[in-house]
Formats: sequence, C-alpha cells, structure tokens
Amino acid sequence: MGSFMANLILASVRMASPLIFLSLAELYSQRAGLVNIGIEGIAAIGSLTGFLISLITGNPFLGVLAGALAGIAVNMIFAYATISLCAEQIVYGMAINIFAPALAAFIYRVYFGSGSELVQAGLMGTLKSMLGIKSNNFLVNLFLDQTPMVYLAYILIILTAIYFTRTKSGLNYKAVGEYPKAAATLGINVIGIKYLSCVICGALAGIGGAYLTTCYSKTYVDGNVAGRGFIALAAVIFGRWSSAGVLIACLFFGFCDALQIRLQLVNNTLPYQFFQMIPYVATIVVLALIGAKKAGPKSSGQPYRKEER
Amino acid sequence: MNRKLIAMVVTGAMIASMAPTFTAHADDTRTVAMICDSSISDGGWGMACYNAMIDAAEKTGWETMYSDSIAQSAYYDTIVSYCDLDVDMIYAPGNQYTDAVLQAAEEYPDIAFALLNGGADTPEKAVNGNVSSLLPNATQIGWIAGALAGLMSESGTIAFIGGMELDTTLAKYAGYGEAAAFVAEENGKTISVLDPVYSGDFSASDKGLEFAKAMMDQGADVFFGDASAVDSGARQAIDEANEANGAIKVYDIAQPADLLGQNDCVIGSQVTDNSVLIELSMKAVEEGTFGGETLYGTLQNGVLSAGELNKDVVPEDVQAKYAEYIQQMVDGTFMGGAAETEAE
Repeated sequence: MGSFMANLILASVRMASPLIFLSLAELYSQRAGLVNIGIEGIAAIGSLTGFLISLITGNPFLGVLAGALAGIAVNMIFAYATISLCAEQIVYGMAINIFAPALAAFIYRVYFGSGSELVQAGLMGTLKSMLGIKSNNFLVNLFLDQTPMVYLAYILIILTAIYFTRTKSGLNYKAVGEYPKAAATLGINVIGIKYLSCVICGALAGIGGAYLTTCYSKTYVDGNVAGRGFIALAAVIFGRWSSAGVLIACLFFGFCDALQIRLQLVNNTLPYQFFQMIPYVATIVVLALIGAKKAGPKSSGQPYRKEER
Repeated sequence: MNRKLIAMVVTGAMIASMAPTFTAHADDTRTVAMICDSSISDGGWGMACYNAMIDAAEKTGWETMYSDSIAQSAYYDTIVSYCDLDVDMIYAPGNQYTDAVLQAAEEYPDIAFALLNGGADTPEKAVNGNVSSLLPNATQIGWIAGALAGLMSESGTIAFIGGMELDTTLAKYAGYGEAAAFVAEENGKTISVLDPVYSGDFSASDKGLEFAKAMMDQGADVFFGDASAVDSGARQAIDEANEANGAIKVYDIAQPADLLGQNDCVIGSQVTDNSVLIELSMKAVEEGTFGGETLYGTLQNGVLSAGELNKDVVPEDVQAKYAEYIQQMVDGTFMGGAAETEAE
C-alpha cells in the first residue's frame, strides 16, 4: 500500500476515535428521547478534567475516569432541566455548550494563571509501545499502535449493538425513546431510564473529551473539542441511530478530515479553504441523502410528562 | 411554580457564569484591554502577546483587561464592550482584527486602538485617526527562522504551518523560504519549502499534529509555524517521530517567545518583544499624540531577535554561522543587502 494511503487510513482512525465516543453519547441520549446538543460543551469539561487529573496524578487512565465523572456532573444539569422540569432540550443543550467551555477555561486560568506557558501532560501509551514492538508495518500500526481507549471505543460499538437489539433491557430503553407513555404502561421506569441515558451520555461525552488530552494531544487548549460535538450529532443521524452506522459515519468524517489535511499538502493551485470545506460539505451532502427517511426515535426531543394524557 | 422558579434560577446562574468579568479601575488610572482569538495560555502567540501587554503595563502603571479565545464573530462585540467601559486603549494582537478595529474606531473616536500586525496602511483608513499599527517586520521574522532552517536541514525539505492566510503569515513564509534557500546555497545545499498549510484556527493542536505527520512523510525535517497552539501539536508529532527514531533529527523553530526547552525538538526561537511597541503606544496615549502611525518592530530596534539555540543539537560551527547571519540581518547586509529594502 502506498505511504499516502497508509498514512491517510492511520490518520482517519486517529481522528475518528474521539468522534466515536461522542457519537455514542448522543446515540444513548437520543435513544431515550433526549436530543442533547450539549455534547460539545460536556466534551470540553471532560477534556480539561482529563488533562488536569492526568497531569496531577501522572495517570491518564485516572484522567479518563475523571473526565467521565465531570461529564456526568455537567450533564445532570441538562437531565434535571429537561426530564424533571420538562424544559426545552435544544435550549438547555445550547446553554451547556456555552457554559461548560467557559467553565473549563475559567478553571484552567485559575489553576495555571494567566499568560502561563503551555503545560504538557503525558499521554496514554499504545499497545505497540506496551508490548515493545518496533515494527513500522502498516498493519501493525493500524491494529497495535493504538491506545487502550481506541479498543474500548470499538468494543463499546459492539456492546451497544448487542444491547439495543438483543437484550430486553435494551429494547425497554429504546421503547422509552419511541413511545414513553406506552413504555410506562408496561411498567418501564421512563424517568429512571431517561436519567440513566444522561449518565451514560455524560460519561461517554466526558471520555470523548478526555481522550483528546490523554490519548491525542499533550496539551489542553480552549476550544480543542473543535466542533466534534456537533459532528457527533450529524454522525448519529448519518448512522441511522444504530451503533454500526455511527461507526461508519465517524470513520467517514475522520477520513474527510484526514484527507483535507493531506490534500492541502499535495495541491498548490486551489485555495486551502476549499479543502477545509470537505468535511462539512460531505456532512451536508450525506445528511441530505440520508435524511429523506427518518429513522430516529419517535419521541425524540419531546418532554415526557407523566400525568399528561 | 416551584419548577419554573428553579428553572429560572438555574438559567440565571448559567448566564451569570458566562458573562465576562471586568475589573473596575480608579478614574486616574489608564486602562488597556486586549482581545485575542487564541488562549493567553497557549504557549505561543496568545501567551507572548498577553505577557507583552503585562510587561508594558507594569512599566507605565496602566491597568489591564483581556478577553481571549473569542470567536471571529465576536471580535467587534468584544471590542465595543470594552469601549463602553471607557478603557483608554484597545490592544488587538493580529491582522485578523483589522475590520473590527476600524469599525469600532470610527464609533469611539476618543479611544486609542493599537493593532499589532496591522497593515502599514491601516492607520490612514481610520477616519478619526485613532488607530496605530504595531508592525513587527514579518519578513525579518521569516529570515531569522529561515537562516537556521537552511543551516540545519539535512533532507533539503523544510515546512511551514500557518493558522490563517494573513498578510503577515504570507510574509513570514516568504522570508522563511528565501532565507533558507540563500543560506543553504551558501553552504553547498539545496532547500525546498513545502507549500504552506493552514489549520483555519489557532487552537487546533490536533491539526498541527496531523499536519506535521503528513509533512514529515514528505521529507520535511525543519518546521516553523505561525499558528499558536497548532504549533504545539506539530512539536508533539515531531517529538514522537524523534523518539521513534532514537535521535533528534527533525527540528522545530518556535516563535514569538523563546521556547527553548518546551519540547526536545525546539532548536531555537524567533523572539518578538512586542512590549516595546505597546509601551510606546501607551506613552503616546498619555501624551495625546497617539494615532495615525505605524510603529515598526525590527531587528535593528531590538523588537525582533533570535532566541537561544539548543546547544545539544545545533553544532558549534552552525551556531557561529547563524550568529553571523543574524548580525548581517541587523547590519542590513543579509543576502547582499538587496533584500533589506524588501523587508522594510
């Protein structure tokens, strides 16, 4: 395989990995009928928390765990407002997107001070480095030169597929997102599942953010989530609300991003902005093609009022 | 009712947390406010510009305010928010703020606007004459990095990563390339510079990492950038590649502060002391003479300089040659002196 293609594929996998966590977060939320557009903000707080804990303890795994907990904590604001108070989901998602990155920036500034030098934390090692493998073969790099979090992302894809299609609990979960009143008449705890979805969503979005600073980049910079939370929203729709579809969507978006970087290098005639458009144009085109037939949960975005007829 | 009340309280608390905080200042103390689209803790451009403001303010006794990591759509609104607080000077460190600064300067004629890296012709576009450009010589910045790249490159391919395609970025790229080619030729080598790439913003360190990996695949072994935190991502990728190879064979030249030691791959820095230009602007405000001019920062007036070299990586003879080239730049004889006019 040519080095251009090999490096393009490796970069695609690298760039898709955080998207998988964020897209799964959105998938679990939407499957319970909650459209959470605040993934971007939750990831931002997860990114900072992961970075800080990894820096302080020297253990990136603890950083990921802390990122998950921080994500849950922030998403509980969304959960309480939208489930218990039946507030508008889009508005609160947007509020989280503004609030959480600002909070992350504030904490960073308080901890490190203004105008401080760039602080760098250690990254999680890859399986290849843990096993002491020196080979630079493409397949070795593709399958072994990945952090444990990448394997976790793919395992979660499989587990999610099994959970939603092969388990009673998963079908109950989906029923809450489809027709919560009918689910309630069957004895399913609709409110409980909606809160559970917010815990899972917060944890996965927090992990997705923490991935950026514990597995990808050694530094935390404000805005480092860089729109991935919104791409995750598109990936869930592109993926037709299934984990396999989400995986394909994330790999596609990762590929588009990796491609635009490489095309900038090999081209010297077109303006660079043309290539930077590729991931976004691809998103619009794919959503236009896919969006013709809605396959999402029927009660998505609608508040659930127990006493309402 | 209770739920509505709680929802209102939660919403209010969130909005309050988002609101910028401003420090009140005594009436007789002058205040400068900085806006920046990158973080002031980015270890690069944002940090250097913020610290320059702080240094200048300490010398002049001014108070400071800042808003960083602001979106492009918020440039004007942020500037105007500070103008409404009656600050004495707005400090906007970047060519990209030009339109927002000119618009605000027209609406607030009593406030001074110092535009770092503004165009040489920007002050005359301000209808109220209250805008000054602080203009470090971008070509000389490129030369300082390019001369070192030309001396150090072994593969003959060097790279440049930009944040946005600004005039100053293009000038740095051009200076970097021509100095590297000149120095390499004088030392019996040939250098080619890869086409510049742009991350589109100054925060995407992951993009810097991916750019650097792709450029190393194309043989680049010396990097220079003008992209703030994006550059730090590139340095991470270079460090990883060097670690995999067991030796430091790919290098990075940092800017605009002396970042020697931040990463193993940093062999030197191009240093810009913007505090001198800001201090001059503050004094001009105090004297009532501010506006309508371009304050240049050059190697000759000390605003620009070359940082310390990594003596473990840069051989002694290269250190000596580099010092000679820097002296030629200061003396105006670099590249036979022909390029000095261009740099000015």
